[in-house]
Amino acid sequence: MKRSLIGLAAAYALFALPGTAAAACEIKLGATGPLSGAATQWGLAIKGAADYVAAEVNAKGGVKVGDEACQVRVIAIDAKYTAEGAAAAANNFVSQGVKFVLGPMGSPEVTGMKPIATRNKILMMSDSYARDAIGPRWPLTFHMGPGPAAWGDPIVKLAKETFDIKTAVTIAPNDQAGTDVAEVAAEVYEKNGIPTKLEYYQRGTTNFAPIVTRILATNPDAVDTVSSPPGDAGIIVKQLRQAGFQGVIGRLGGPGTAEIARIAGGLDVLRDFYWFEPVFIDENVRKLQDDYRNLLKTEPPENNFFYLFVAGGQALVQAIEKAGTYEDADKVAEALRTLDVVDPNLGEGKWIGQATYKINQELSLPFGIGMIRDGVQQPEVRVEAPVDY
Amino acid sequence: MESFISAGLIGLALGAQYALLALGFTLIFGILGVVNFAHGGFYLLGGYTAYVCVSWFGMPYPVAVVLAALATAVLGYLFELLLLERVSDDHLSTLILTLGLYLVMCTGVVVVFGADAPLFQFPVDGVLRFAGVHLPLANLIVFAVCFTAIGLTYALIYRTNFGRSLRALSEDRPVAVALGIRARLMFPLAFALATGLAGMTGALVTPILSLTPHVGDPVLAASFLVVILGGLGSLGGATIAAFLVGLVEAYAAVYLGGSKGALMLFVLVLIVLLVRPTGLMGVPTRGA
Repeated sequence: MKRSLIGLAAAYALFALPGTAAAACEIKLGATGPLSGAATQWGLAIKGAADYVAAEVNAKGGVKVGDEACQVRVIAIDAKYTAEGAAAAANNFVSQGVKFVLGPMGSPEVTGMKPIATRNKILMMSDSYARDAIGPRWPLTFHMGPGPAAWGDPIVKLAKETFDIKTAVTIAPNDQAGTDVAEVAAEVYEKNGIPTKLEYYQRGTTNFAPIVTRILATNPDAVDTVSSPPGDAGIIVKQLRQAGFQGVIGRLGGPGTAEIARIAGGLDVLRDFYWFEPVFIDENVRKLQDDYRNLLKTEPPENNFFYLFVAGGQALVQAIEKAGTYEDADKVAEALRTLDVVDPNLGEGKWIGQATYKINQELSLPFGIGMIRDGVQQPEVRVEAPVDY
Repeated sequence: MESFISAGLIGLALGAQYALLALGFTLIFGILGVVNFAHGGFYLLGGYTAYVCVSWFGMPYPVAVVLAALATAVLGYLFELLLLERVSDDHLSTLILTLGLYLVMCTGVVVVFGADAPLFQFPVDGVLRFAGVHLPLANLIVFAVCFTAIGLTYALIYRTNFGRSLRALSEDRPVAVALGIRARLMFPLAFALATGLAGMTGALVTPILSLTPHVGDPVLAASFLVVILGGLGSLGGATIAAFLVGLVEAYAAVYLGGSKGALMLFVLVLIVLLVRPTGLMGVPTRGA
């Protein structure tokens, strides 16, 4: 009996030790996006960013929250690039007590996740070019990159000048993710004096030959694959070239040039191609790749959304430390809005969004314009962080 | 006019691919009474098997296609023999079993090959041009192979004892068994034939489109659409419906656009099912 009492007292003493309490502190970082299907590359970029941010912080002893040093654990869930997939992922996060999420990606996912995340006080670092991606109704939803209305103009100007574009066609999925971006992209082309026709396809289409035939009947100078997932865009490019399209192919949407080239059959097939690169890739940014390899002992994600979400994840960690809480997402959001956007790898940026969304929760960073001419990749052009538009 | 001819050629090419997929799908339903939700998975495995043969082992592409068909046929044979055979009379069990197999296949491919699309190109990349119409040689070759395979499948089913046995089992299983046809021997072979066709289609089509771990999803949807339109279990119906779907899809997309084109297909199925609830050539009940 006496022994039992001593044991019990020892157990209580152990739990009372500050060190023991600190070890129990853990921040669950959700990572969600399309981890299957044609847009998988974007989801892998988000997951890779979450893994990297967690490994980086944990290697330094954890996130400093008051007297505690919390380890970060990543919980990754496939949102399947659909609203229902994202809603299911959000509910899963709620059930696991996740308060902070990197992702989701794309209008359907963000639309599906926002209400559940807002109701359950989950802070989302999302990316979508939807017209209502963020707003005062969604105070915990942050946006990792402005839409084409902000960055499209310099890209179209450069492409028009380089490739002498007079007419264009956009092709995108016929859901919210596609139509929101395609309409804005078409407006950007029109503003630059390029009449633009919009074409849509049913998501899940695998053979674009009939749509390509329809596009070629209008004889455009440029075809823009806007926000079609890289997997779809690769087939579109391949079939456009097979059908004899000699013009330039653009992409005022999410990145994925490596995947597009792989599916299409190489840079020679892309031939003349321009695209929005959400991050300007220089030595500073490339250094992240080495850090990733060192920390995680594997290759970093191929898609450049990775860098953007690393910046978002690092800003989130700073905000948690500044707010001094890992349980109150409102306080963390408040801290996040006041952070100076100076990313060690990506450069100086700003919070924007007030003019379009009535809320300054859009992280704007310098971006790049990628270009391939005659099958040869050109040096990227750096553009400073877009301001409110 | 060029668009009209191009759409027709594209429609025929799509139809041949759909027919090859739908034949296997409807064969399994007609003979075993099983709706094979793993059909897209065998298409997927066919694509990846051909990719491995070509890219990892440097085999010629035609050999890779044959090996892909054989590998998926063997896998289908084993799946039917070892798992499906035990529950083939329970529709719910077969549904869950085939669906589960498909998920295992997709996840397995992601684990082994990763989620990104690998570089897998058709070995012939020329384009035939005439009178303003373009026709990629790859599509022409795939069309010819698909058409030959459809012909061989028909010959197998309608001109051999093996095919007669399968049709007898499909018509009336108890009577066929009473006449000495060994169902336990024939069922795995029928399943292997169907999955081999799916695997061969995957090996042929994925290099001209793309190869990703979830490429089987739309295949299952297309197979379903075709066999329901043609009449579940009917080989002739599936073949006619496949070409009908291919042509409607191509013409509707060219003249109405991608969104309305997809809608047209379902309107077509709806109308056919309203007029003929059993599909174009389906029968009211299965005898098996």
